[in-house]
Amino acid sequence: MSLWVDKYRPVSLAKLDYHKDQSAHLKKLVEGGDFPHLLVYGPSGAGKKTRIMCTLRELYGPGVEKLRIEQCQFTTPSNKKLEISTISSNYHIEVNPSDVGHNDRIVIQELIKNVAQVNQLDTTQQKNFKVVVLTEVDRLTKEAQHALRRTMEKYMSTCRIILCCNSTSKVIPAIRSRCLGLRVAAPSIAEISQILITVCKKEGLTLPHEMAVKVAEKSGRNLRRALLMCEACRVQQYPFNIDKEISEPDWEIYLRETATMIAQQQSPKRLLEVRARLYELLTHCIPPDIIMKGLLKDLLAVCDGQLKAEVVQCAAFYEHRLQQGQKAIYHLEAFVAKFMAIYKRFLEEGIADIF
Amino acid sequence: MDDSFELEYADELEALGNNDEDIEIPSFNRPKSKRTLQFNTPKSKYNRLEGNDDDNFFLHEFQNVPSSPSSPRLEIDMEENNKNRKRAQNSNTLHEDIEDILYELPTLTSLSKRRRIKEQQVDESTLESQVSNSPTAAAIKQIQQHRHEKICSQLVTQSRMQDAEDLERPRVRKHIPNSDFISAVGYDGQRVYMKLWDEDVLESEYTSIGTDSRAIGLLTTPVCLMREMMEEEQSRKLFAESEALDKKVRSLLNDNEKESDNNMVESTELEVNKRYENGDVGDVNKLTEDMKLLWVEKYAPKKYTDLLSEEAINRSLLHWLKLWDFVVFGKDIPKPTKKAGKAEKEKDKKFKKKIQFEVTEVLDKHNRPEQKIALLCGPPGLGKTTLAHIVATHAGYNVVEMNASDDRSVEVFKNKIESATQMKSVMEADPRPNCLIIDEIDGAPGPAINVLLNTIKMTENETAGAKKKKGHLLMRPIICVCNDQYVPALRQLRQMALILNFPQTESSKLASRLHEVVVKTEMLKADLNALLALCEKTDNDIRSCLNTLQFVRQKQKELTLRDVQTMHVGQKDSQKSLFSVWHDVFTMQRVNKNRFVSIHDLVEGKQDGLQTNTISLSSRFEHILHMCQSAGEYDRIMQGLHENYLEAKSKDPRLSGLNLVNEWLCYADLTNHYVARSQDYSVVKYSSFLPIVFHFLYASYSPFRVQFPHSQSDAHQKLIKTNNLLTTMVTDMSPIVRKFSNPQSLVLDLLPPLLDILQPTLRPVNTQLYSNREKEELSNVVKIMISYNMTYHQEKTPEGQYVYALEPNVEEVVKFPGLKQRKQLTYAAKQMIAREIDLEKMRRSESSVPKSVEPVTVEKKEAKPSSSLPNHLKKLEAKSVAPEKPSFNFFGNFVKTKRERPAVKEDAEPKQDISKKDLLDTLIWFHFKEGFSNAVRRNVKVQDLL
Repeated sequence: MSLWVDKYRPVSLAKLDYHKDQSAHLKKLVEGGDFPHLLVYGPSGAGKKTRIMCTLRELYGPGVEKLRIEQCQFTTPSNKKLEISTISSNYHIEVNPSDVGHNDRIVIQELIKNVAQVNQLDTTQQKNFKVVVLTEVDRLTKEAQHALRRTMEKYMSTCRIILCCNSTSKVIPAIRSRCLGLRVAAPSIAEISQILITVCKKEGLTLPHEMAVKVAEKSGRNLRRALLMCEACRVQQYPFNIDKEISEPDWEIYLRETATMIAQQQSPKRLLEVRARLYELLTHCIPPDIIMKGLLKDLLAVCDGQLKAEVVQCAAFYEHRLQQGQKAIYHLEAFVAKFMAIYKRFLEEGIADIF
Repeated sequence: MDDSFELEYADELEALGNNDEDIEIPSFNRPKSKRTLQFNTPKSKYNRLEGNDDDNFFLHEFQNVPSSPSSPRLEIDMEENNKNRKRAQNSNTLHEDIEDILYELPTLTSLSKRRRIKEQQVDESTLESQVSNSPTAAAIKQIQQHRHEKICSQLVTQSRMQDAEDLERPRVRKHIPNSDFISAVGYDGQRVYMKLWDEDVLESEYTSIGTDSRAIGLLTTPVCLMREMMEEEQSRKLFAESEALDKKVRSLLNDNEKESDNNMVESTELEVNKRYENGDVGDVNKLTEDMKLLWVEKYAPKKYTDLLSEEAINRSLLHWLKLWDFVVFGKDIPKPTKKAGKAEKEKDKKFKKKIQFEVTEVLDKHNRPEQKIALLCGPPGLGKTTLAHIVATHAGYNVVEMNASDDRSVEVFKNKIESATQMKSVMEADPRPNCLIIDEIDGAPGPAINVLLNTIKMTENETAGAKKKKGHLLMRPIICVCNDQYVPALRQLRQMALILNFPQTESSKLASRLHEVVVKTEMLKADLNALLALCEKTDNDIRSCLNTLQFVRQKQKELTLRDVQTMHVGQKDSQKSLFSVWHDVFTMQRVNKNRFVSIHDLVEGKQDGLQTNTISLSSRFEHILHMCQSAGEYDRIMQGLHENYLEAKSKDPRLSGLNLVNEWLCYADLTNHYVARSQDYSVVKYSSFLPIVFHFLYASYSPFRVQFPHSQSDAHQKLIKTNNLLTTMVTDMSPIVRKFSNPQSLVLDLLPPLLDILQPTLRPVNTQLYSNREKEELSNVVKIMISYNMTYHQEKTPEGQYVYALEPNVEEVVKFPGLKQRKQLTYAAKQMIAREIDLEKMRRSESSVPKSVEPVTVEKKEAKPSSSLPNHLKKLEAKSVAPEKPSFNFFGNFVKTKRERPAVKEDAEPKQDISKKDLLDTLIWFHFKEGFSNAVRRNVKVQDLL
């Protein structure tokens, strides 16, 4: 008994609800014996980690589910102590190297060497390699990625690496070419609603189809969020009331209000108010690119067709700058200022046309 | 206050005036200097001749005669004396004029002596002339020549005058005169009468002598002129002396070999000085020689009264230094000197009044001042170092200086401090104690400053215990000089130091002084306005002003306002505070404030820039750029601009300016990021152009109030806090949950619905009364909370109410201001959930403990060494509790209750044998002779209670 997300998480490849052909591929890979390095990517809430876990179970059996948390210590060349926690079973180890920031190179080098240098004892019954799962690879520094590329080849005989990330754009090509790319696309609305209904049935609840679709749409094709929202609805009111608003996360509401403020008035004073709200969002650990994306989505709604292209272009420009830069607030604000200028010009032209 | 100060320090000030004399004395005793050698010769000579003359006599006379106000009088006396003597001899009368005798009596002996010496000196003058061109020697020579001439002329003329004079005035009469008289008895027993002269008559007689002599030209030069010359000579000599002494002090640390060089320098210097004071300035030769010396050196204050810095500061430093007198001089000299004693007395009566000085008069156990260190701080060129040197010298110390040019590693620093504070020069036979001046201490490394701190502190600790260690008490004053007192390394030092902040010298004061120097002595034409402008341009930096002036002097003979305005020299990198930088960026420069035309305007041909009302763009550009570059801290400046620019008023209807500024901010951020990542600092220079954009877009004549940028650091703090919350939550999650969640997905997807899920509708009744469904819901919540490492925690709100809050309080992460509050569980429900969570956790930990651990739970400390099997390890049989077994115990009550209890149990549950056996199977024991009901012990497990 815990959250539905955890409770009804599939544990084997066969039980995965969508992307069945991909599951079949994975199964064949495992059976074929020559398992490659994997690069699993896709949006969050699509089931990347679930799929990885299922694959591991396919490789090693239920033993991989006995997880433990271990703290690893590393020392940088400058004698700084790093500590990182890993989740491991007897057969695999999972680590998020970006936890230690820019020292992730040390973690990659030391950790993989440690794991790879120990051979599996009993190779007759199980695979002769261990698996290292690295999560959030797109947040690795370039140095760490370069450290990784040679290691991947060198220890191929004793270890496989599964990389997990949201987007491959920040993974260097050298690594991409060394891995088998595996894109886990977000499930479709239909798939999500189907899953929701199945889960509710297992819980002994009846979920109307319209309600399931509504939740799925609200979730933005994020299965994790869809399940959690569904459960939240269930806790708030049962039997489900279709007319009731599905509660959204606060940060989304806040972001939408911010976008409305920008559209209402374009002035330095308003920009100052918007800045305060942007700070608020940033301090709540909302990633800046999500903020940018959310703003753009909501601002496009008020834009005329011809304006949309221009706004999207400048959003893309500032998003790129944001990734290159250091302090997100400058770039977000620059985007807002730019939008204000574009939108104001558009409004003034519109008024001029009327007369 | 000032008056009282003057009174209190009257002797000090006087001493200041005669500073040179005081200082001179040791130098005379110094065997090494050439000068002393010269003096030794005459001294020994007349010692030989005049055995009864005391050693100091010559010195005394030599110094005092010209300077004391009575000297001209004495000269006249001398003449008269001579005349009278001759007259007395000639007339062969033993009785001299009583008036004369009365008049002469006090000085007679010394005068006669002196004359003898003088005569002798005349002889020696040839000898002395051979000696080198030392200043004093020359002075002496001159004086002697004067005297010689005088005496000679007297001898010649007096003989002429005597007869007439004697005839004119009969002195002693045998008969009673017809006017007022005095009677006396002569040698031969006869009564004689002396006429009483009217005072006026005498007066006129004396003056007539004076005027006559001048008119007649008895002397080659008139007395008054001679006097002036003497004084001039004297001051010149003193000046040279102090110069020489200054040099000497500085070279004390140097080798002895250098001394001869120094003397050479001194003598040339003196020559130079002499020449320009004599007024023959037209000499080209002199000018070139003059220019060898930096004006900064040349016109540096030589004594306390010359100091340009603020009087209050000078005084408080001197005051502080004087507080050391008791320790320093009282220790060095067996009998405390007059000065030290006086200082002590003064301390009692007057220092209490002076509150406005930060100097605390309290002395510690060792009679040292409470503040062991004086810290002089202020911008460069105000004369901090000069002040320290002069005050220390004035207070009678031997100055030992350390500055940034010395090696300041810890070891060297320590050695130097110790040697300076604990030793004194023996070789030089200089009795003055050391005073350590540490210049530019803000540049010293932290460890070195710690050494200094320890020197101060350690001694304090040592006062408690006996002096075991080698460390000695700090018994000498230390003066530190720095530009920036807020350097982190100085933080601790500041707390125990007397901090003297140098304010800027007043422009007018400085300008007038410059005027004095430049116009009067250096023949550079400059009006006061130009000098004032120069002062302002250099921020009243004395050194910079002087250097600039000297530079100008080399080139031309005149300094005009225009020169000052167009000059590049005299400007320096002065660091401005961040606030002033921000303010300047948002402010349009005003013309009248900035009275100098910038060089760029001139280049562009705007010669009449002073008259126009606007400042050209390029000069504004240059001004802001220069300011930002000298201020540094681009990141801070950028933050300040970013936070304030939206407040500024500007005409920007299309928001294009806004976009431009943001473009620049992004660019600056990118460069910063690049620098931070690649450590390539070559692109930092472009950051300083950012404020210029702001300036051109947002500068106005009526600027708003610039706020200090907080929001970025605030945001950073909050972000760290949120991150910490999330990390705590993640670290203790169960592995299976943790595997599938990272902080980001927690915030974005999981937490908002999770908080809803955790708030089921629970009836406010006892959990026992819940339906199965409700119980299930409750247990579900508890499990979720445990797996996500959450619980409720009791907290006290500022209003004094108790509330249960989530722990870790991720609600803060989820909640945004201005949005509707989510429904909260009641206090009771939260309390209940918290309790359930604790219980569940206990249950889990209980079940996770393997069975084999159980025997270990037996308390070891209860083990008794007596028998083979300790009492509490013996299992009680049901029978053994039988009432037949009497236990004769000291505590009858105890035994009885113990007997009763099992009896009751047996009656109540006779059938549940198995369960009873279970109960008895557990360990039960009691303490012998422990008269208390809890002496019966039994192991109870958590699972029994749940």
